[in-house]
Amino acid sequence: MLRVLRAFDREGLDYVLIGAAAMGFHGVVRATEDLDLFIRATAENVERLKRAFRAAYANDPNIDGIRAGDLLGDYPAVRYYPPSGDLYFDVMTRLGEAANFETVAQENKEVEGICVRVATPAALYRLKKGTVRPLDRQDAEALRRRFDLQEE
Amino acid sequence: MTVERFRTIEEMAAAPVIVPPGEGFERFARQCARYWRIAPRVYPRGVFRFRALAEAQSARERVTDENVARMRATPAR
Repeated sequence: MLRVLRAFDREGLDYVLIGAAAMGFHGVVRATEDLDLFIRATAENVERLKRAFRAAYANDPNIDGIRAGDLLGDYPAVRYYPPSGDLYFDVMTRLGEAANFETVAQENKEVEGICVRVATPAALYRLKKGTVRPLDRQDAEALRRRFDLQEE
Repeated sequence: MTVERFRTIEEMAAAPVIVPPGEGFERFARQCARYWRIAPRVYPRGVFRFRALAEAQSARERVTDENVARMRATPAR
């Protein structure tokens, strides 16, 4: 996980973590199988993402299957299962009509010298409270209680 | 706080794990590693694209179902 975050940092990827990893940075801890992230929706940024994945996963040829045309077009969500087999990535350029890299409030965190962009607790709460998965609603409630957020 | 009391399972499930400031990511990574050892997963390889979040969630559930079936088929030691 750190190897990938370091590669994101080195490539200057415009991204923000939005899932359980982001919650972990805020001290609300649960296990997960994936890293969820929004990236800025530009072709250049998709190329940065691919370079970072290639650096982290020994030029896995599957990375060529990540296409700017998809992420900027009809497929705003791409899932990448790397060869390490231990976690996977849900990369998104938008979620519904309103949520995307630009609209999610973010802050910087640091781990082992790596700068990581993380959605704020309030932003995570807003993303999670309206979704259908019970796990997300549970996350939203945990965030609300931990950070004394107001119900919207 | 070493002991917390809850009136319902729902209340307990929603209670955040309190982690000292700055330790969140490390605890998160350890928790994921523990989870992996308890329930090792097999994932497909490669890139999959989705038009909507619901599609992505359905695909995730199919992979989870396959993993659960595989684990149940594995005899306990």
